[in-house]
Amino acid sequence: MISVEGVTYSYGGDVVALDGVSLEVGDSELLAIVGENGAGKTTLVKHLNGLLKPQKGKVFVGGIDTKETTVARIARKVGLVFQNPDHQLFAETVEKELAFALTNFGASPEEIRSRVEWALAEFSLVKYRDRSPFTLSGGEKKRVSLASVLCYDPEIIVLDEPTTGQDNLQKTRLAGLLTKLNRQGKTVIVVTHDIEFVADFIPRVVVMSRGKIIADGKAEEVLVAKEVMESSSLLPPQLAELSWKLGLKHPSIKLDVVIGEISRMLEASAK
Amino acid sequence: MKVFKAFEFKRGSTVLHQIDPRSKLVYLILFTFLTVYFTNPVALLAIFLSFLPMVYIGKISARWQQSLRGALFFIVFIFVFNFIATVYPSWNFYGAAVSGIAMSLRFLNLISVFSIFFLTTSPEDLTQSMVQLRVPYDYALTFNMAMRFVPTLSREAQYIMDAQRSRGLEMERGNFIARIRNYIPILVPLIISSFRRAELVADAMESRGFGASKKRTSLYVLKMSQTDVLFILIVSTAALALFCLNLLL
Amino acid sequence: MVLPIIEVKGLTYTYPESESPSLKDVNFKAEAGEFVLVTGPSGCGKTTFCRALNGLIPNSYGGEFRGSVVVDGLSTTSTPVYELAQRVGLVFQNPENELFCTTVEREVAFGPENLALSREEIAMRVEEALSTVGILHLKEKSPEELSGGEQQKVAIAALLAMKPKILVLDEPTANLDPLSAKSILELMSRLNESGVTVVLVEHRLEMVSHMADRCIVFDGGRIVMDGSPEDVLYSDSVADLGIGIPKVVLVSKHLNRSRNGSLRCLTPDGLASYVRGFPV
Repeated sequence: MISVEGVTYSYGGDVVALDGVSLEVGDSELLAIVGENGAGKTTLVKHLNGLLKPQKGKVFVGGIDTKETTVARIARKVGLVFQNPDHQLFAETVEKELAFALTNFGASPEEIRSRVEWALAEFSLVKYRDRSPFTLSGGEKKRVSLASVLCYDPEIIVLDEPTTGQDNLQKTRLAGLLTKLNRQGKTVIVVTHDIEFVADFIPRVVVMSRGKIIADGKAEEVLVAKEVMESSSLLPPQLAELSWKLGLKHPSIKLDVVIGEISRMLEASAK
Repeated sequence: MKVFKAFEFKRGSTVLHQIDPRSKLVYLILFTFLTVYFTNPVALLAIFLSFLPMVYIGKISARWQQSLRGALFFIVFIFVFNFIATVYPSWNFYGAAVSGIAMSLRFLNLISVFSIFFLTTSPEDLTQSMVQLRVPYDYALTFNMAMRFVPTLSREAQYIMDAQRSRGLEMERGNFIARIRNYIPILVPLIISSFRRAELVADAMESRGFGASKKRTSLYVLKMSQTDVLFILIVSTAALALFCLNLLL
Repeated sequence: MVLPIIEVKGLTYTYPESESPSLKDVNFKAEAGEFVLVTGPSGCGKTTFCRALNGLIPNSYGGEFRGSVVVDGLSTTSTPVYELAQRVGLVFQNPENELFCTTVEREVAFGPENLALSREEIAMRVEEALSTVGILHLKEKSPEELSGGEQQKVAIAALLAMKPKILVLDEPTANLDPLSAKSILELMSRLNESGVTVVLVEHRLEMVSHMADRCIVFDGGRIVMDGSPEDVLYSDSVADLGIGIPKVVLVSKHLNRSRNGSLRCLTPDGLASYVRGFPV
């Protein structure tokens, strides 16, 4: 579905934001791209809907070379939800905010109406439909910005730091939604440095550092690899750290696995 | 946008950077006056040439050239517009060309002199000199904050543009009116977030004792040095020489 | 008997354009030198509480204010914010909006300049604040050239130059990556050890709970829990509040239930050394 082939990109100056990055994302995958600030996550993501075009290498989305088409074309397939909802909310009402993208993509009035209704219901925004998005709370705004992208039903959804400023309950709800969308066949890509969120909910993890992908694999393997976590300047999930400190043979990010291991250790020492 | 980039101050240690902003203000005023006053292209060209040593001493040639390149479109536009406007009743092509060139040079000179000033004067020194020139502190601070937040604002504009393009907004679509309307989804978030930022900045300022004393002090106080006197002397002489040259032409 | 450095009594506050109060009958005391961790779900009143501690509420925000807030002996309703600013420093969520000068040095000097201190005193305070925070090398930089973590450190230094006895931080790490967040939190712990009273709003409990002396939890504008971090995180009701319980606590709680134990660990280190047979 998405294929990034040896992409290099620089904003000018000495720093290379992306340095020969290759990545394959299949249909209906759920993955996280993690890495410290400045690792190149956002630059990579902007390549996925054509906001940036590779200076070297190629990006294909659904078989189409992003260099050969417009942002508007790819954006229809790849919905990008940015970190800060204040950077996109502009309409007089929540309803109009949700209709914006559909109008841009030339959807029919009936389609717009039905999709907007769906999104209002899906994100519990029905009672806010006539409210100005600016009067909503931080969490609600975040929901509107997410709904405003999901309402045009893109096949791939990319979220940039969706957990910033969200409390635990909101994060759990978000995870539920992402998992549901993924089960419905969407590809979901989460860009984040919230490693606990990734450990709890996301099966595949791509780790970036200084413009390169330094690891790509199952979360329970990547997040417990000490060298990877250290060279990415990320803090490991607490369970991985606990596993290392306990000297577990198979470090884990799963609560029941770690509890099981500890119980075994305690029983062994009791004998 | 490149034009603005070329006015962005970068720290440097040349003589020109160390000269008191007030001395450079004298320079700015003198040469702006000459540029506006002169009509002869040769005299205007002489002014332009006088910038070269300044640019060299201040080591700002790269960004100065950048600003000129950014202004190229306007220069061409000014020339063409001026040519057409003056050629019409008289059909004097030579005269119209001369006047067009003079107008373009004037613009070039203005950009250059302001560019020299801003590229070598740090915003905080400029603010301090405003305070010492008895501009009320609130105004000086407002000016300083404007300088501080210009890059922030342009970065924010980029974020917003990315977000809206990702929702299918095509800036270049439609006729003239439609294109202007295309800016609404960019401008509204930009303005609203600027207002919000202003509120938060006000909170931060208050939390650091803003308004605690009627007569606030300052970590740095600008002092005129001998170099400043020399600088003023040199630029005044140069200005006088250019003025005489203009009389002779 | 030591007088509390912060004393909030029966505080109920409603923003000017709001119908319902954001804080409801909040009572809170902190002693000098305490490190108080504040947490709770979004919109629970934490930010409002922070603003009330340095007098921005109600002095700058207006609204309906009942009850009292006394900080270092000064009532916030009868003391101007600039006076309070010398006792309480407030660090905000987004460092971008806290820095409004064009160099780090000027930024840190801004506060002392407002107090009309002598140039020598200002220079000394700037130097001291920057070195306490460990950013002397950034003195000449403009905020645009700094990372988020560095910006937040500048903001903290700028407050330290006011010599406050109390630092209140409203989710200072929300926009930072984990390593920068960790270094800000460790800085807070260091400042606290040097005698500064710290009130810190934070979601990342796994990083900070072991540093705090006390943890209070807000929900719906009220303080619903108040105790040591262990008491709060190991209580039965905390899970319902939607705050993120660190994994180490979840593991320990599970072990306590299955083995009838009384573990109270907050860090992987603590739990690991228990499991390996060392006393906690």
